[in-house]
Amino acid sequence: MWVGENRMPALDIPFFGTLVLSLTLISASYTMAVAIGAGRGRPHLLPSARLGTYATCALVVVAVCVLAYAFQVHDFRIRYVARYSDRSMPWWYLIASLWGGQDGSLLWWAFLLCGYTFFATRWLRGRYTELQPWVLATLMSILIFFVVLMLFAANPFATYIRTTPGDGEGLNPLLQNYWMAIHPPSLYMGFVGWAVPFAILIAALITGRLGNEWVRAARLWSMIAWTFLSLGLLLGCLWSYEELGWGGYWAWDPVENASFMPWLVGTAYLHSVLIQERRHMMKVWNVFLLALTFFLTIFGTFLTRSGLIASVHSFARSDIGQYFVWYMAFLILAIGALMIWRLPKLKADNEIESLVSREFAFLLNNWVLLGMMVFVLIATTFPLLSQWVRGEEVTVGPGFYNKWMVPLGIVLLFLAGLGPLVAWRKATGSKLARAMAFPLGAGVVVAVLQLLFGARVGYPPIVEPTEIYDTTTGAVLAWMAAVAPVVSFATCAFVLASVGQEFWRGMRVRMKRGESAGTAMFRLVSKGRRRYGGYIVHVGIVFMFIGFTGAAYDVEQEKALRPGETMAIGKHTVRYDQPRMAADPNKRMIFTDMTLLDAEGAEKGQVAPAKFIYRTHPQMPTTEVAIRSRPSEDVYVIMSTVDPSTSRGTFRIIIRPLVAWIWIGGIVLLLGAILGMWPTGRELVREEVARARPRRFRLSPAGAIVAIAIALATVMAWAGVASAQDDTSSTLHAGTVVINNPVERQLFGRLLCQCGDCARLPLDTCACGWADDKRVEVRDLLAAGVEPSQIQESYRAQYGAKALAIPSDEGLDRALWAVPVAAMVLAIGLVVMMGRRWQRRGARAHASASARTDAELKYDSRLDEELDRLEKG
Amino acid sequence: MADLLPWIFILVAVAAMFGGLVSLWLSLTLALSGEATGNTRAGITSDARLALLTEKEALLQEIRDVAFEHDAGKLSDADYEQLNAKLRAEARHVLHELDAGAEGFRDEAEALIAEKLGETS
Repeated sequence: MWVGENRMPALDIPFFGTLVLSLTLISASYTMAVAIGAGRGRPHLLPSARLGTYATCALVVVAVCVLAYAFQVHDFRIRYVARYSDRSMPWWYLIASLWGGQDGSLLWWAFLLCGYTFFATRWLRGRYTELQPWVLATLMSILIFFVVLMLFAANPFATYIRTTPGDGEGLNPLLQNYWMAIHPPSLYMGFVGWAVPFAILIAALITGRLGNEWVRAARLWSMIAWTFLSLGLLLGCLWSYEELGWGGYWAWDPVENASFMPWLVGTAYLHSVLIQERRHMMKVWNVFLLALTFFLTIFGTFLTRSGLIASVHSFARSDIGQYFVWYMAFLILAIGALMIWRLPKLKADNEIESLVSREFAFLLNNWVLLGMMVFVLIATTFPLLSQWVRGEEVTVGPGFYNKWMVPLGIVLLFLAGLGPLVAWRKATGSKLARAMAFPLGAGVVVAVLQLLFGARVGYPPIVEPTEIYDTTTGAVLAWMAAVAPVVSFATCAFVLASVGQEFWRGMRVRMKRGESAGTAMFRLVSKGRRRYGGYIVHVGIVFMFIGFTGAAYDVEQEKALRPGETMAIGKHTVRYDQPRMAADPNKRMIFTDMTLLDAEGAEKGQVAPAKFIYRTHPQMPTTEVAIRSRPSEDVYVIMSTVDPSTSRGTFRIIIRPLVAWIWIGGIVLLLGAILGMWPTGRELVREEVARARPRRFRLSPAGAIVAIAIALATVMAWAGVASAQDDTSSTLHAGTVVINNPVERQLFGRLLCQCGDCARLPLDTCACGWADDKRVEVRDLLAAGVEPSQIQESYRAQYGAKALAIPSDEGLDRALWAVPVAAMVLAIGLVVMMGRRWQRRGARAHASASARTDAELKYDSRLDEELDRLEKG
Repeated sequence: MADLLPWIFILVAVAAMFGGLVSLWLSLTLALSGEATGNTRAGITSDARLALLTEKEALLQEIRDVAFEHDAGKLSDADYEQLNAKLRAEARHVLHELDAGAEGFRDEAEALIAEKLGETS
């Protein structure tokens, strides 16, 4: 089976892999053609299209298996295998290498798409037969794009032209951890998952069946995609927190933004589509949102894979961007044309009857979510725009996003609490005021308590502000950031009270019918899984906001210690015990054992930050952070250096209050999402059983997908618990950063490291030697009495605008925030204006609707029977 | 595990290749034969009815939700009466449509049964 000195397989795997990809292209093209034929009046072709879809999916499975096999047998004739693996890697990292680089991740994209396509095709059997051919054709067209990309631009089976290396280069050390095994697949599941609802939408646009049919068909699939996208984002935060080792979980990196944008729009869609389902309104808007969500997943993949904008995800760059640009242009044209063609069929059947209604609250929610998306989109692409417009490269650092996103996030959080309190169609002022009294009261109580006692317990209501601009805008933003903790905690209390009240009110209604509290609670949730699942998602979001707010109270310290010496930080004392060496076939490891002590000197736990030196990347030693996680705070320990001869080590310790609530909130969010889609899964099982095998339980494909989602959520929960234990993780950039005062912090936060290797890292984070020297230089200037603004200007003059973490607040740079703010102001004006117009028209429509009610009174008893069945079922 | 994995991948690849080629062959055979299956036709004719049934379920759900919101104190009596009356009117209309459509559906079902019986005899 193997030949030669390097034990290469006798089979020409590179050729075979490329052959399978070519066959996939042929099969997908054939299937698309047959599906289009079925959609264009030849229904007998539909079974052929379905079989063709299965065949295409199977061929992609073959391609993935061939590449996975090549990794396992170290077939270094394949360039991708040689670049992302080596002989010392264990089998599980050899599997993770499949998606570790660009070419393989495209194949992985195609593989996941085929997984979705397979289950969607199975699920579609016997239903939505007019939509079905076009759904299959659309899914095949997406697959064709990715296969073309692989065959002509990024072939994972491409070989070296001359010699085959004896060993591979190995996977990037940052990717050699357990998060790598689950973060990219789940994120991709989220990205790719939007292809199915998008395909259903395209089918609806082509066939003109634009009622609620497509919305219901797409509902489960969009929920699944959203859940996986949320899971992927959360795992990305965990990966960043534990692996990048800078102490944070979200750096507003372009690639992070690329996955956040579809999440924002997808969330807006999931809310907005409820209005269409219940009121037959907002049809054009929902089409736009779903299409935009899918478009942003492609745009996100483009950003991730093209390397167009500097990112920490730079292990996956290439020049495939042009293919994506053409594909995105095609998508815009095709979707735009279809929407214009179908505009007459997208007219709303109803109008908003009141601005004080759930519908209008959802519109406001959409306004904030889309506003956030526009902010992120403009800020992410601003470096490119600046380069094109004025030839000057700029950088938009995390400071900009943090300052603008916090107030928007809090408004969104408030709406999450307000929405459930407002009735559909029309809420009277007095009823709403009564409903809001308790949640508002809870918010006020929390705010007052924090104002009175917060500082004493370590959570002051107002924190020291840092300004990103030396202008009025900068001052306003700094003020908002300063009061953000108290506003955020109060809003969290408001939302929790609002959701709690909803559960209580629901229970009370059922208890009035004679049910016990337990039964009422159980039936309330089981009869309204979607509604109460959504509320639980809101609770998860609240927990996450508690964790985000905790970042305002971070404390960090850095010190050199000899074995036996201690350092105190916050209410903790940390003792450095000893260094310890270890090795495995893949790497050498230097641990530094440390003990956490309480105020009396009793031991509370052990941590062991470390340095790992990988055999294939000796020039890139990784720093393994150690985290001791508790609900109240995380102790985050980084070993910067250790001297083997004296055992003296330098350590940086960060106390991060409440950060664990982000992961707890994430788990709650996932559980809520699963609860929300579960009834649909069961309904589907029932429906399928009713159609196919009346007396035999059979899990439908959708049920299987929901089960996979639950399994992954369980993995997530397990990982969250695991990470709550004393943990070690790696980073390439964690080192020594000493900050002496707030002026230094603000200034260092505005200046980016220019060593050429630390893209986007500001001087208050970057630990490389260049940054260290530059900090010393800046400190000397400050000591000499030079103003921070002068230092900043001279830094800009020396290294260019791209060396500043945040563009200035003048000229074209001001567009960075002025355009999204103007867009949001314009949009809210439009929303209110249209709301008022709909309200007037709705009142007229209502008058005509009530005039035709008496004609069909004979159906009343049947309706009551049906309602009774619904209640019992 | 490391020794076993390559074989597992080979086996899965061979099975998938076999399944894929068989599916492709069947697909081509079906496409070229030009035969329509009963399932396909029945599926298409039932789509309109399915849409009405889904619409009915949605309206029933909405009627129930409006009643729930009224019971929970979110809707005034007057608003509830107004909304409930409108929703029930819509639901009655859908039931009427379903009844009217059932006639044609029944005819078609009978024709399909007759066709099937003719085939078997």
